[in-house]
Amino acid sequence: MISAILIFSSRGELIVAKTMKSSLKKSISDIFRIQVINNLDVRSPILTLGSTTFHHIRSDGSDSLWLVAVSRSNANSGAIWEFLYKLNVIMDVYGLTKEGTLKENFMNCYEILDTVLEEGGIPVDTELNSVISKMTVKPPKQISGNLLDRPDLLTMSSLNLSTPGDSSSTLSMPKFLTRNNRSMSQDLGSNYPSNLSWRPHGIKYKKNEVLLNVNEKISILVSRDGSILKSYVDGTIDLTTHLSGMPICQFGLNDSLSVEFGDDSISEVEDFANKKAIPKAAAGRVMLEDCKFHQCVSLDKFNKDRVIKFVPPDGSMELMKYCVRDNLNLPFKVTPIVTSIGRGNTIDYRVTLKSLFPGKLSAKDVSLRIPVPPGTVDCEINVSNGKCKFVPEESAMIWKFTKYTGLTENTLSAVTVPSSDTTQLTVQQWPRPPMSLNFEIMMFSNSGLVVRYFKVSDKDERYRTAKWIKYISKSGSYEIRY
Amino acid sequence: MSDQRIFAKYKANELRAELQVFDVKKSKTSAHKRKDALRKIIANLTMGNFTEMAFLYPEILKFWKIEDDLEVKRICHEYVRSLGSAKPKNAAEALPYILDDLDSRNEKVQIMALETLVAVPSPRFLEEATKTIISFINRRVIPPTVTKTAIYASEQIDFTENATRSHLLTLLLKFVERENTEPTLQVAALHALHTIHEKNIDLQPLRLPIDVAFKLLDLLPQLNEWDKALTLDSLTTAAVPESHDDAYEMIDIALTQLQHVNTFVALNAFKFIAYLLNYVDHVDENLIKRFSNSIVSLLNKPPEIQFLVLRNVILLLLSRDTPLLQLDVSYFFIEFNDPIYIKDTKLECLYLLANHGNLPRILEELEQYATDIDIQMSRKALRAIGNLAVKLDKESASDCVTVLLDLLEFGVDYVVQEIITVFRNILRKHPDDFTSSVKELVKYNDSVQEPESKNAMIWIITQYSCDIPNYLEVFKVFSSNILEENLEVQYSILTSSVKFFVKDPVPETEEICLQVLKICTEETNNPDLRARAFMYWSLLSMAHSSKNHIISAEAVKSVLDGELPVIELNTKLDPLVLEELELNIGSIASIYLKPVSQIFRSSRTRHLLQSPVLNKDRSNLKILSGSTSTVNLEGFDSLPEMVSHSSSDRSSSTAARKKMMNDYDKPAEKVNQLKGRRKSSVTSPSKISRKPSLLVRKLSMRKPF
Repeated sequence: MISAILIFSSRGELIVAKTMKSSLKKSISDIFRIQVINNLDVRSPILTLGSTTFHHIRSDGSDSLWLVAVSRSNANSGAIWEFLYKLNVIMDVYGLTKEGTLKENFMNCYEILDTVLEEGGIPVDTELNSVISKMTVKPPKQISGNLLDRPDLLTMSSLNLSTPGDSSSTLSMPKFLTRNNRSMSQDLGSNYPSNLSWRPHGIKYKKNEVLLNVNEKISILVSRDGSILKSYVDGTIDLTTHLSGMPICQFGLNDSLSVEFGDDSISEVEDFANKKAIPKAAAGRVMLEDCKFHQCVSLDKFNKDRVIKFVPPDGSMELMKYCVRDNLNLPFKVTPIVTSIGRGNTIDYRVTLKSLFPGKLSAKDVSLRIPVPPGTVDCEINVSNGKCKFVPEESAMIWKFTKYTGLTENTLSAVTVPSSDTTQLTVQQWPRPPMSLNFEIMMFSNSGLVVRYFKVSDKDERYRTAKWIKYISKSGSYEIRY
Repeated sequence: MSDQRIFAKYKANELRAELQVFDVKKSKTSAHKRKDALRKIIANLTMGNFTEMAFLYPEILKFWKIEDDLEVKRICHEYVRSLGSAKPKNAAEALPYILDDLDSRNEKVQIMALETLVAVPSPRFLEEATKTIISFINRRVIPPTVTKTAIYASEQIDFTENATRSHLLTLLLKFVERENTEPTLQVAALHALHTIHEKNIDLQPLRLPIDVAFKLLDLLPQLNEWDKALTLDSLTTAAVPESHDDAYEMIDIALTQLQHVNTFVALNAFKFIAYLLNYVDHVDENLIKRFSNSIVSLLNKPPEIQFLVLRNVILLLLSRDTPLLQLDVSYFFIEFNDPIYIKDTKLECLYLLANHGNLPRILEELEQYATDIDIQMSRKALRAIGNLAVKLDKESASDCVTVLLDLLEFGVDYVVQEIITVFRNILRKHPDDFTSSVKELVKYNDSVQEPESKNAMIWIITQYSCDIPNYLEVFKVFSSNILEENLEVQYSILTSSVKFFVKDPVPETEEICLQVLKICTEETNNPDLRARAFMYWSLLSMAHSSKNHIISAEAVKSVLDGELPVIELNTKLDPLVLEELELNIGSIASIYLKPVSQIFRSSRTRHLLQSPVLNKDRSNLKILSGSTSTVNLEGFDSLPEMVSHSSSDRSSSTAARKKMMNDYDKPAEKVNQLKGRRKSSVTSPSKISRKPSLLVRKLSMRKPF
């Protein structure tokens, strides 16, 4: 599938060249360098010349290396890009995304590639923890032992949910699969699994801990008349586990389907919601547009009774991704009134920013970017709170708050000072790029998604686990036209 | 770390010396230094310093013998792999060592050795490789990882003898059918079978017995992500359902995999199910929903993967009359920081999804893009609006035209150019509907600058000359500068001047026509232009000469100014190509939307295999809504009625009215009022840089003379 993996520095110096197929010429790396790295016009992530195809991505971090996969046949692009991104993650853990380190330890990269790629360039296993266990070299920094050592976890609330019975037995069976159980043979069921590729035997921790992070990014586009053209939340649930043995984890969400299944647990949800300062509206039901799961999750189980059941790999991972488009909790409302005054070359702004999340919560790092027309040399600004500055390099005013409490309204009033050669026409032709808002709110869920319960069970009856959950809502592209 | 940089060019002698110095001592530090020297060899190979490094073969062989450190082994194997093709003789010397490693107790070394055997292109290596692979697949005692490598390695071998090949194929088939082996090995064997059949065109396409196919599908939940995807990929076209029930059952099993987070798995599940739809008689609406949801959530991935998914969305929208996807247009609205390739593809999707119902929303978006600061984007949006007007019926087209005319008033240079250009196509499609807008367009006669828009303008003036009273005046703007224009525009001017004369033979038009013909025949250097002018000239003179009436004036008119055929935008692909592409969802070919054989010459084209239940006409697939169908739907109906209920709720609510920001409003508990007066931001450096006069005044205030 993949005939060669090439890794270039950002300037185009070849550092790793792992060839899987002998028929590939050595000069193949020069072709890529000339055609893509040195060619500023090319902006496509894929290039096919003759029957040779290059897929590339840029690595994270400051050094942005070029990770390139060369293939000679009609390979699957999805596989290749997914693979490159996973390779990037593994290299990152080994500190190999830094150009300097990579040049010193490039043989580690060869070992990684030998581990994750099978003969013929077929990816075999890219699960971080499993790769680390197969490697002879261990990553420089191991993830610290105790979750609570990390200061950023202090804001979390503990998840002491009483588990709502044995949900799988009380749930009514939907009429999925009358032909019982062909594909459910592997459902984790009640018997404890023995062999899983992503989890080795014999993991031991003094204290069992689970940390669940619900990360959401809300994107919204509001038109001039205040109608919402587009709004959606991209969410991920990240999980860090320090659990001994082979535990089975199981949790449920308040998505509309699972709430319908197990009506008895709703009252509990509301209790939980109030206690944890998550708005009541949010504790209703959420219509999950679609969710994608990590390979350890039993998909049949989820389809059958909407319970997310899995044996987690050790350490951190992204457990699921989801998308919600309806009944969102918008955290901020921006009302701009923008008019041109004077001789038509001056713009008057009146912007109200109002937080719509509960008063007990607060957002941090809130900043509203308000574009100004070209030829603006200064702005006269008056704000009711926060700080607002005109940044000429970006032709915008940036209105910042380090902390913004819920249900609060603030106003900005500003007038631009145009340069002497700014005419009415330049201001009229100014395309008015949308205002954009950035923020981060802890313990708030844009989509209203709530984890209803989280169970960890093991063969051992006395298995105890500390559970933590954190909700973080951030802005994706939160844009307002005016 | 080391005192010398590893990534630098070295001479063979330098490295040899370095290796020898540390050769003798057995201490730990010297072992470390030695390894560094070996690393330098690989680094130099990477940098392309082959000739120098080739001298070091003896050294490499020496270390091969004495070291059993894994990294040194890896370096040795890498070395032979990259120099094997250039120096087959030296590689042959290494062969015994490689064969030695094959029997190593460390499975990693065994795997390395096997890979090296396959990687070096020489007959002896090939022979050994074939032998080893077959014996490894046969033996049961060796570790499964090694067997797996052997199976995958078999895909790489070019067989010299057909007997060996068929022997291997039987072995693999047995492996696939074997009970109680590791599932991952079965997948490997399946994939090898699939690949060998794809590679060797003389073989019949792979077709698995139906019960084997089912057994493999049942393995799915136990497999890791990559194996899942490989299984689904290999089973596409290889698992041929014998009855409708088979097909439904297979779809049922594969359905859950649509939800996998790995694009490779999700798209392959999509492909597999789409392939099976060729063997069923109807589809439940819910399946379409599952498809759409799966695709939508993949749009949440990194840009490259989004791009792939979007390209496949285009493919799926094109491929059937009732597409397998039902997506809301807002997913394809462009975001500010999307890379350009995503923006382009999203525009294409918007174009394909547009219909009478969603046109207002799409137009509103496109109008925004058209006023974007990114000039390229703006042009593309304008072009898209134009294309929509050509694609859709008259009523929708007039909406598009209204938007375009609004934007025209904006008066920005490139917007004007682009709008004029697209208007030509709109007028070709709807010749009689927008004559009133022509006058608007002609107002911008002076501002057209680009060749393409000039061409368009000239064409419009010519075609609608009867609606423009002063058309000759307008035309003269172009014809007077004919010598400065580029060739394409010169052609247009020439053709139009002749058309004017033919349409309306009066002295004014004759004068212009003659003038242009003269310039083109006498003053230009381009032979094509000259020849074309002469051709027109003789045609006209033939028609107008009184002596021989070879051609009538009417005939000339019909030749030069005939009825133009209505244009269609060519977005359709050949149905055979589409059928093939649908079997290649997610592959490179799906990005380019071209048949596989066009990009990759040697590979086999995937075909649907015959079965009693194969649908003859793909477009005939019935899509039934959940409630009306009774047969065979249990499997599909994985999401109970609530889904359809709630989603229909949703669609009705969005259809009813737009969501407004105000709907979400809540009373504020605390309102901060503005206090004080407006102040300019003091720290702004702009003042100093941009208004030196102000700065001077400030300084002078503080320090009066």
